[in-house]
Amino acid sequence: MNGISAFLTVGSGMNLLYVMILLPFVLALLCLAIPKQSYAAKAGVFVLAVVANLIFAFGVFRAPDATMLIPWAGFEINLALRIYDFSRFIVIAAAIIVFLVGLYSVSFLRRKEYAGQFFFYYLLTLALANGAFLANNFVVMLFFWEGLLVSLFGMLVLVNKDNVRTAVKAIVLSGTADLLLMLGIAMTCMHAGTMMMDAVNDLSVSGIGAVGFLCMLAGAIGKAGSMPFHSWIPDAANDAPLPFMALLPAALEKMLGIYLLTRIVLDFYDLQPGSTMSLVVMIIGAVTLFFAVSMALIQKDMKRLLSFHAISQVGYMILGIGTALPVGIVGGLFHMVNNALYKCCLFLSAGAIERATGTTDLKRVGGLGKMMPLTGLCFIIAALSIAGVPPFNGFFSKELVFDAAIESHTVFYVIAVVGAFMTAASFLKLGHAAFFGPTKLPDDVKKEDVREAPAAMLLPMVVLAAACVVFGVWNRLPLDMIQPLLGDTLAGQDFAGWPHSMTLVLISLAVLLLAIINHIIGYRMTGEGIKAVDHIHYAPGLRQLYHCAEQHYFDPFDILMVFVRIYAWLCYCIDRAINWIYDVLLVRLTSFFSQSLKNFNTGDVAGYMVRSFIGLAFLVLLFVLLI
Amino acid sequence: MEGSGVLLVCIFVPLLGAFLLPILGRISTGIRNIAALLFVLTAFIAAAFALPQALAGELLLWRLELPLGMSIGFFADGLAVFMALTSSLVAAIIVFYSFGYIEHYDNQNEYYMMVVLFIGAMMGLVFSTNLILIYGFWEISAVCCWRLIGFYRKKDIVLRADKAFLVTVGGALLMLVGFIAIYIQAGTFDLMELRGRGLDNWIMVLILFGILSKSATVPLHSWLPDAGVAPSPVTSLLHAAVLVKIGVYVYARLFLVNFQLEPVWEVAVPAIAAVSALVSAGAALVENDIKRIIAYSTVSQLAFILLGLSCGTMVGAAGGLLYILMHSLAKGGLFLCAGIVEHSTHTKDIRQMAGLARRLPVTAVSFALCAFSVMGLPPFGGFFSKYMVINGAVQSGVPWMAPVFIAGAVMTVIYLLRVYVKVFFGKLTHPDLKEGSWEMVSSVALLGLLSLLAGIFINIPSGLVSFIVESMGRW
Repeated sequence: MNGISAFLTVGSGMNLLYVMILLPFVLALLCLAIPKQSYAAKAGVFVLAVVANLIFAFGVFRAPDATMLIPWAGFEINLALRIYDFSRFIVIAAAIIVFLVGLYSVSFLRRKEYAGQFFFYYLLTLALANGAFLANNFVVMLFFWEGLLVSLFGMLVLVNKDNVRTAVKAIVLSGTADLLLMLGIAMTCMHAGTMMMDAVNDLSVSGIGAVGFLCMLAGAIGKAGSMPFHSWIPDAANDAPLPFMALLPAALEKMLGIYLLTRIVLDFYDLQPGSTMSLVVMIIGAVTLFFAVSMALIQKDMKRLLSFHAISQVGYMILGIGTALPVGIVGGLFHMVNNALYKCCLFLSAGAIERATGTTDLKRVGGLGKMMPLTGLCFIIAALSIAGVPPFNGFFSKELVFDAAIESHTVFYVIAVVGAFMTAASFLKLGHAAFFGPTKLPDDVKKEDVREAPAAMLLPMVVLAAACVVFGVWNRLPLDMIQPLLGDTLAGQDFAGWPHSMTLVLISLAVLLLAIINHIIGYRMTGEGIKAVDHIHYAPGLRQLYHCAEQHYFDPFDILMVFVRIYAWLCYCIDRAINWIYDVLLVRLTSFFSQSLKNFNTGDVAGYMVRSFIGLAFLVLLFVLLI
Repeated sequence: MEGSGVLLVCIFVPLLGAFLLPILGRISTGIRNIAALLFVLTAFIAAAFALPQALAGELLLWRLELPLGMSIGFFADGLAVFMALTSSLVAAIIVFYSFGYIEHYDNQNEYYMMVVLFIGAMMGLVFSTNLILIYGFWEISAVCCWRLIGFYRKKDIVLRADKAFLVTVGGALLMLVGFIAIYIQAGTFDLMELRGRGLDNWIMVLILFGILSKSATVPLHSWLPDAGVAPSPVTSLLHAAVLVKIGVYVYARLFLVNFQLEPVWEVAVPAIAAVSALVSAGAALVENDIKRIIAYSTVSQLAFILLGLSCGTMVGAAGGLLYILMHSLAKGGLFLCAGIVEHSTHTKDIRQMAGLARRLPVTAVSFALCAFSVMGLPPFGGFFSKYMVINGAVQSGVPWMAPVFIAGAVMTVIYLLRVYVKVFFGKLTHPDLKEGSWEMVSSVALLGLLSLLAGIFINIPSGLVSFIVESMGRW
């Protein structure tokens, strides 16, 4: 222990930077190397890794500003890492989530055949994410960032090896975003004339800068799971192990994406409030939050519903940061932290229900509140947070985003508020159906067997729920870390404490009230909590739209694939045509010529003589003419 | 010059040793196999010995003067050594793999002879000091490739071998005309004397025919997918280690090191490459034959190499050279994996196989490692080469080329995932399948591992490559 504390107090913090990346990686390999039979050993190494990562992240948190650089690939691609306000904050936030979800996973995955591989990919993800957060060179960041595709693929093929469509979808969508990021980085580096991230400041968003900005933006929002790179997430909810959902789509990917988005808006590019590019970002955010939450509203499976919220919440963050206003950026970052807390908590409680009942289908389970009170409590706190009920954390960050939205344009504010209404309505439905009302269980599950999850699973949920309360009531705590990140942009403003605009708060409260009224109406109409929003789902016009959406007609992946198929088929035709030239045309031409020449060879010696003389005469003529 | 003996060893041990192999084969197949591997390894080791001097900037040169201003000579600079190391390393692994793959077929003596001769020709070409020598070794490789593609001797297979031979030799003859034109203008074939000269556009067109037909670029590519009828180690050799890399190597040798091109080629060649990358990537998505898919992928990836080399920026050129290495390792691995799959399932149609990861776990993992590298995912080597090529294109006079190639890269991800998922995941189709022999499995695992290590320890290849491009002295 002495050694560790001595290590942590090493002033430079340089060693820590290596350790943050290498330690999870090495332990990941160890996890893989330990034989399948000894789950305890694997789990031990895994827990050691997440705990050590937490300790070292704390070390980074306390370390002074530092940069380090080791030459690597040449051509300015140096392994440059940096500790400063932003990386400090994001590394510790990630480490806490990784630790909690890790603890939960050890218990959740016991007796699962794929546990060892899951731990391996989990730690690999951690190592790469730490690298991406700490990187101070664009290409090095891209290296870690894009490397996450490998662990993403690995985790998505773990459970269902017979059907890996989701994994393909995820890699194609995220891979497209990452390749756009590669292009964006190449353009940004050329625009800036350097690859060092701390040397790039306020590039102009025009000409090549505009393309670079948009490509980097695609990379950032693609990782965050925003539209149009989102559609693998709901599928993953069915196909991937639950801790994966809590770790990546709910928390870590959001952190990565929003971290980069903030860096782009705040540092790399000079994004002016009200500019076209700012509008583009805000539109992406607004579209994402609106349509994703509309889809969440009608879901009847807990994990799937939550996964749509994982998409819609990132819409709020992008909307906030896209305004390029200090209040929006602070709000977006604060929302990112809050989202990681409550979304993780929600997924983890869904996992507890899955463990107890074997399903998360709301049509098959219900009334679990009596059997799993603590899970229910955690769930309700997290749900209140995401719905934006004061004094929980989600309320405060959402108000900041609202504030920024209305300052930019009323349309965005209206969309955001409608989104908030649907968020509240869907969680009223979910909470009501799962925890209240008459007990409902799958046929093969006995009521006595349904009980609270083990402590290792409950503890992370309780901690996360508690954090939702703490970050709401004492929102100065996180905001004191977030606000300094903006530096001069902040211009002395302080957003901690109660929201500044009372009008907006009143409107938000009215919206919540409306959601409750809506729920009561829906419940009265159908008599079941799960059907409380059916009057919206099956309203004329909406019903058909929802049907199309559920049939994947709007799925960007499917649309992309249609275009790709047509394109591929065209290319194939071109290729076949070229091949025909070689295989058929050239052969025919050759045989035609040889046939024609053959016709001259009749065996008639007199004829040969005549032709020879004509040829000779021709040559002589040619010779004479040339001379 | 001192130490130049190492070059002669590097070239002539495989080149002449090849003819010993059939004799050794009559004595013992085991000795012949070992000898074949040793000859290739000798080339690798000899090239490695030439590395320190090449890096020190000393030119290793061996020359025999002939009348009429002709000469036969070999020299080693960084570029040559880099290419020789890449080729002989991958080739050695392929030869080792052949031990398991080829042991049940006829004509093994000829097989090993041709493979080793092929590699010898490559070594000779890489170190040649003059254009005629380059042409000579170029044609030796065409003959070897002709015999090897037609290895199974069936009628349609031999036809395809003929096609490959005719297309590449046709291109080479046009290139020869170009070389002769250079001789008429400059009075020499010697590369060092020609260094820094300008080149007429019509000569460039002729030479380009040779290069693009050898490096299988659309529309001169169609022999390459057809060559998939060859035994898998041979296709691997053609695609990864030797044949298609000859074209891009000669491009680098002639147009990056030696001649000065007119600026129009910095747009024209990338444009040809772009068409090639996109068309072949589309075709790869429609094909159902595993080897044809990977072959189209080669055509597409060669376009990336060509883009990097031709776009006229230092980073691009470095990326192109690194791409040669990374693609050799990964594509070699992919073909060898395809060989294991084909060997075990007796089919190449990906619609008829699924779920093979359960029976061929090592092959499945190796395939994944190599495929990720070709896709350009970190931490694999392919990431850096792809980034540098894109970066080079962005900085060049044709920045609009970069998005086109990003689209090509997205297609790469899609078609490689399609093959991988169709072959290795899903419901198992061949329950009584067995993993390939240990030589085969360890070869693919080694190539997969090398693809990974080349990414993590990128400083080693990129150090060499940055030395090479800096010594070109044209940026």
